[in-house]
Amino acid sequence: MLEVHDIVKTFDGRAVVNRVSFEVHPGEIFALLGPNGAGKTTLIRMITDILRPDSGTIRLDGQPVGGDSRQRVAYLPEERGLYRHVSPLDVLVYYGQLKGLSAHAARAAGLALLERMELADWATKQVQALSKGMQQKVQFCTALIGGPRLLILDEPFTGLDPLNTQLFEEILAERRAAGATVLLSTHQMNKVEQLCDRALMINHGHMVLYGPVRELRARHADHAVMLRCAGSAAPPAVPGVRGVAPTDGEWKLMLEPGASPQGVLRELCGAGVPVVSFAVASLPLEDVFVKVVREGLGLDHGLSGPPEPEPATGGAR
Amino acid sequence: MTLSWKRAWIVARREYLTTVRRRAFLLTLVAMPLYFGGIMLYATRSADSSRIETLRGFTQLAVVDSSGLFAGAPRTITTQVATDPVHAPEREETFRTEVDFLPDQASLEAELRAGRIRRGIVVSADYLTSGRLRRYSRSENLLTSGGGTRAVERWLAQGLLTGRLDSLHLERASRPSVRLDDYALGRDGSFALKDERREAVEFMLPFLFSVLLGTCIITGGQYLLQGLSEEKESRILESLLCTLSADDLLAGKLLGLGAAGLTLVGVWMAAGLALGGPMMAMANVHLPVGLLVLALVYFLLGYLFYGSLMTAIGAVTNNMREAQQFAMMFTFALFVPFIVMTAILGSPNGTTAVGLSLFPPTAPTTMLLRLALPSVVVPAWQVVASLALLALACWLVLRGAARVFRIGLLMTGKTPNLPEILRWARPGR
Repeated sequence: MLEVHDIVKTFDGRAVVNRVSFEVHPGEIFALLGPNGAGKTTLIRMITDILRPDSGTIRLDGQPVGGDSRQRVAYLPEERGLYRHVSPLDVLVYYGQLKGLSAHAARAAGLALLERMELADWATKQVQALSKGMQQKVQFCTALIGGPRLLILDEPFTGLDPLNTQLFEEILAERRAAGATVLLSTHQMNKVEQLCDRALMINHGHMVLYGPVRELRARHADHAVMLRCAGSAAPPAVPGVRGVAPTDGEWKLMLEPGASPQGVLRELCGAGVPVVSFAVASLPLEDVFVKVVREGLGLDHGLSGPPEPEPATGGAR
Repeated sequence: MTLSWKRAWIVARREYLTTVRRRAFLLTLVAMPLYFGGIMLYATRSADSSRIETLRGFTQLAVVDSSGLFAGAPRTITTQVATDPVHAPEREETFRTEVDFLPDQASLEAELRAGRIRRGIVVSADYLTSGRLRRYSRSENLLTSGGGTRAVERWLAQGLLTGRLDSLHLERASRPSVRLDDYALGRDGSFALKDERREAVEFMLPFLFSVLLGTCIITGGQYLLQGLSEEKESRILESLLCTLSADDLLAGKLLGLGAAGLTLVGVWMAAGLALGGPMMAMANVHLPVGLLVLALVYFLLGYLFYGSLMTAIGAVTNNMREAQQFAMMFTFALFVPFIVMTAILGSPNGTTAVGLSLFPPTAPTTMLLRLALPSVVVPAWQVVASLALLALACWLVLRGAARVFRIGLLMTGKTPNLPEILRWARPGR
């Protein structure tokens, strides 16, 4: 779907995005993570062809981005706005036409989206009369109109109440089911854990994490397993376990180096422990994020700090 | 340049419709001609009525004749003036001024201080050789000493010649041109009689035409500035730029808002022709089609030149206030010809007029001012050179502005300084 290969972007001699490569597969929800100033927005602007990379390639469905690929991509930026003196429907018709729909089709699609967003009654009111949350829903509609194949959302849930957050999630699920791919940039790690299949994290313009979300969480966790068993008694000491600690109604079993979770499970069952649930311990993504950023870890886990920056090339687009 | 005309057209259509539906546009459309028309009508009427009022109040002239040359001069000055030279030049009113002789300057000053007279002249003893006079008045006017100068000069001529000429020669010497039929060589090679009406129309037409052009270019530019500032302030540009390229947006805005500017010109010209047409017909003044075509070309190029500058300014500034401060520095150039209008009208083919016609920022208004002067033939090479230079300037400014536009659109915070902007405008960025 989206292939980003070895892209570099420098501003005033400083590499803001440095040799970043990743792929987003069709139909997946992919998270783009990173601390403030990491280069996420610049990366998104290159994917949307607002900026051009100094080197490297970005392909969408095998074709370089830009030109007609714009009609297949939609972007909801973090800093977003709307024309204030026009109606939500007019805004959507305008965006729909820019996405290649006829005026009639854009109007029909706009009305349907407003209906889905529970804003049908506000379709012809001026945007400035809408509340902030309603405006955010209209902005979401501007990204959805035209049925984009790649939906890039930068902090889409900020400022939304739980009901509207749920509505956005439902719509994302619908879009995904309809074949759309979503690139989600957010600092809400719980949403990434809940919604995303894979993630890329960049720091100082460099890739620092890349892979399935579950794997990333497990890779950075302690060598441990989480055990829930019937009764309140602590599990007995079994080979391969070097320590036991209670954690929110569960037991965290710290494993000895070289011990495998499967072996420990076998030992527990053999010792007659009434196992209810057993899982490899994983770190919440938020903790992974903090750990990676604080410790300056690189992609190979042991690397401390980002790779040496490439020589500066070129300038702005 | 990655330009999609389809998307540019969608932007143009939206920009046009949004602009012409705005209350401010409708207000400009209707109020601007009323405003300017009202001011000009008031200024013309005010100048005429002020002249008549002066003569009406000029009922008495005190004279201190130290030369003794005017003892036999008439005791009454009669002045005939057309009260409405534009609409009814044949309608004249007669004003009479009584002449009172006073023995010396001290008496004159005392009479003036007491308010018994309003003005007087002192003829010096050596008047015949020096021609020197002193005029005294109860000063109420900053610019003149109360008017009536022509009447006084005529009385002086009569006074000097009384007894030396017969009455007919005396009258003619004091009033050598009662009626001056002024013929001027027209564009068609024939001499046409100039009259007051025609003179008024001839003066006003190029002026109005040029002002109209300048106003429309600036108005279109202002719409660009306003639209861009609004989009920048409301942070709508980023999502828009994912949907279309900066070049699509630039082209669409220039087209749509240029069309809005043309709508203004069109409506104002149609209204002007409807209202001023009968007067132009009376004065035998016709607007040549060639002039209208050239006006359209100058409008388009002028708009493209200033519009490109405005888009670049709108892109690099953070809000409307900042944008307008920047824009004012550039748009001022368009109105320079009006500041030096006396020089242009006095010598329509002189160095100032030709220089400003060739200089792209001032070319549209200056050339239109000259082209619309009925008795002036602007050499064809100057029109061609002016258009060529303007077109070249448009191309350069448009290219530079497109680069600045692309870079500046998503920038917020500190406004870049001029060297930075010029660096952005250079090719290869």
